[in-house]
Amino acid sequence: MPNKDQKEKIRAAYIDYVLSKGERPSTVYVFMKELELPEEDFYKHFSTFDAVEASAWRAFFNHTLDTIKTQDVFAGYSSREKILAFYYGLVEHLKAHRSYVTWCFKNTSKIQFSNPVYLTDFKKMFEEFANDVIQEGISSGEIIDRKFISDKYKDALWVQLIFIIHFWIDDNSTEFEKTDEAIEKGVNITFDLMAQSPLDSMVEYGKFLWRNVAFKK
Amino acid sequence: MKEQDSIATGKVERSAKFIKTGIKVGGNYLKHYTKKLFDPDLTKEELNNDNAQDIYQSLSELKGSALKVAQMLSMDKSILPKAYVDQFSKSQYNAPPLSGPLIVRTFSKYFGKTPDKIFDTFEIKSSNAASIGQVHKATKDGKQLAVKIQYPGVAESISSDLKLVKPFAFRLLGMSEKELDVYMKEVEQKMLEETDYVLEVEQSQKFAEACKSLSNISFPNYYPEYSSPRIITMDWIEGLHLKEFLATNPTQEERNVIGQALWDFYQFQQHTLRAMHADPHPGNFLVTPDGKLGVLDFGCIKELPNDFYEPYFQLILGDTLNNKEKTLECFRALEMILPQDDAKAIDFYVSWYTKLIRLFAEPYMKDTFDFADQQYMQKLYEFGEMISRMPEFKQARGVKHFIYVNRTNFGLYAILSELGAKVKTAR
Repeated sequence: MPNKDQKEKIRAAYIDYVLSKGERPSTVYVFMKELELPEEDFYKHFSTFDAVEASAWRAFFNHTLDTIKTQDVFAGYSSREKILAFYYGLVEHLKAHRSYVTWCFKNTSKIQFSNPVYLTDFKKMFEEFANDVIQEGISSGEIIDRKFISDKYKDALWVQLIFIIHFWIDDNSTEFEKTDEAIEKGVNITFDLMAQSPLDSMVEYGKFLWRNVAFKK
Repeated sequence: MKEQDSIATGKVERSAKFIKTGIKVGGNYLKHYTKKLFDPDLTKEELNNDNAQDIYQSLSELKGSALKVAQMLSMDKSILPKAYVDQFSKSQYNAPPLSGPLIVRTFSKYFGKTPDKIFDTFEIKSSNAASIGQVHKATKDGKQLAVKIQYPGVAESISSDLKLVKPFAFRLLGMSEKELDVYMKEVEQKMLEETDYVLEVEQSQKFAEACKSLSNISFPNYYPEYSSPRIITMDWIEGLHLKEFLATNPTQEERNVIGQALWDFYQFQQHTLRAMHADPHPGNFLVTPDGKLGVLDFGCIKELPNDFYEPYFQLILGDTLNNKEKTLECFRALEMILPQDDAKAIDFYVSWYTKLIRLFAEPYMKDTFDFADQQYMQKLYEFGEMISRMPEFKQARGVKHFIYVNRTNFGLYAILSELGAKVKTAR
C-alpha cells in the first residue's frame, strides 16, 4: 500500500512541477531532490518521465470508465450511447485536470501528434473499450459489419476522441456547452455512418450488376 | 439610384412570389369549403395550416433558409391565426432529442450527481418535447416531478441566427436597419430570456404567488434546489391537454369554467400585474382532473410599460375610438401613425386601424362573449389575412411591444375559440 501511495504522490508532484514551471524537470535527480526522496524511489514506479505521463492518462481512462459503469443506466445503453457516455465522462473528468491536459496537448509538436508517447497506453485501452462496444453494436445490428472497413471503426472513434479533446481545449463557452454539442452531433454522424446506409445497398447492387450484367456482353 | 434599381427588381420578384402565394391561399379556401360541404366537422384549423404552409414556403424560398424572425415581424404584427405562428415557430429549433448520456452529463455538470442519485426515480426516456428542451418524469419523496432539460447551444444559436436574418429581413420588409433593430432586439431579448431557466423558475414562482387568489387555476410548485441554468424541476401536473380535454366531450359548463379561468388569468396579468405569460401555446395549459386550468412555462414574460399600456387600453376599453382627436393621439403614441405620414396616409391608417381595433375589442364591449361564435373568429382571421396582404401594411408599424402583445392576445382568442367557451368579459 505505501508503494501505491508513493506512486500517486510522485505522479501528482510531477504534474504540479510541469504546470508550475511550464516544462519537464531536467533530470529525475533534480525532480526527486525537490520531493526530498532518493532518486531510486522514482525507478520503483516509473522508468522515465514519459512513463509518468502515460500513467496519468491511464488513470484518466480508468476513472472515466469506472464512473460511467457505476451508473445504473449504463448497462441498458446502446453502442452509440456507450460511446457518448464515455466522451462525456472523459471531458467531465478532465475538467479537474484541464491545465495538465492543455499542457500535454500544446506541448505536443504537430509531427508527433498522431501518437504521442503519453497517449500510447490510453489509446490501447480506449481501442479495447471501443472494440467491445463496436462488437456489441454489430451483434445487435446497430452497426453494420463491412469487409475491411469494420476494423477501422475503432480508429475513427479514436480520431474523434482526439478531436473532441482539442475542441474542448479551445472551447470558451460557458460550462463547455459547445463541447457537449460537438460530442452529441459528432457521435451521431459516426454512428450513422457505421449503421446500414444507402451506400451499402448501392455497393450490393453494384456487385450484383457486375456479376450479372457486365459479363453477359 | 443604383440601389433603388436593385431593390425595385427584387420587389417585382417578391410580388410575383406573393401573388403566387395569394393564389395558393385562395385555392386552399376553395378546397376547404368544398370539403366542408361533405364534411361539416372540418375545422378552420386545417385550412389555416394549409395556408400557413404555403405562405411559409414562399417566405422561406425567398430567403433561402427558415428565417423565423423576419416572418414574425412581417406577419405576426397584423392579426395572425394561431396556425401560422405555429408553422413559423416550427422552423425555430429542430433539435433531435438529447441522448441519455448527455442528460446524465448535464446533471453531473450542474449538481455533481447523476439524475438517479438526485431523484428516487428518473425516466431517461423523455415523456415529451418542450420548445427548447425535453421533459422527463421523476419522483422524489413520493412526489411526482417534471424535469425539463434544455438542449445545449440554444442560447448561442439564437444570437447567431438573428444576425443571419438581419440583412435579408430589412430588405424584405423595406425597413431601414435602424427601424428593424428595435424589433429584432425585442425578439432576441425575449428568446434569450426563454433560455434562462434560472430566470424562468423565479418568474414562475412570482406569477404563481401573485395569481393564487384567482379561482379555478393552478400552478405547479418549482424546486430551485433541483434547477439550474439548463434544468427546471417542478411538480408533475396530472391533466389533459386542451385537445385531449375536448376529445372527452366536456359539457358547455366545463368548457366555460376553463375558458373563464383563462380569460380572468390574462385580464389579471394585463391590468394588475402589467406583465403576462406571452406564450399562450395550447401545450402550456392543462385541464386538471378536478376541472381546473393548469398553467405551465413562464419562460416568456412580456411586461407592459405605462407608455404602452395607457394608449393601448384606452383604444380597446374606452370609447376613445369615437373621438377622432384622442384616437389619433393614441395611434401616434403607439407609432401606428408615424410623424412622416401625410394627411392621406393618416386617413388611410386611422380608418383601417379603427376597424381592426373595433373588431378585436368586440369581446370587451359586451358582458359575456361567446367564443364559440365561429363567425367572429372567421371575421377576425379574414380581416387579418386581408391586411397582411395589403402593401401598405407590409412594412412593420407600431411600437415593439405589439409583437408579443398581439401574439399573446390572438393566441388567447384562438384557444378560447377552440374551447368554445362562453366568457364573462365585463370588467
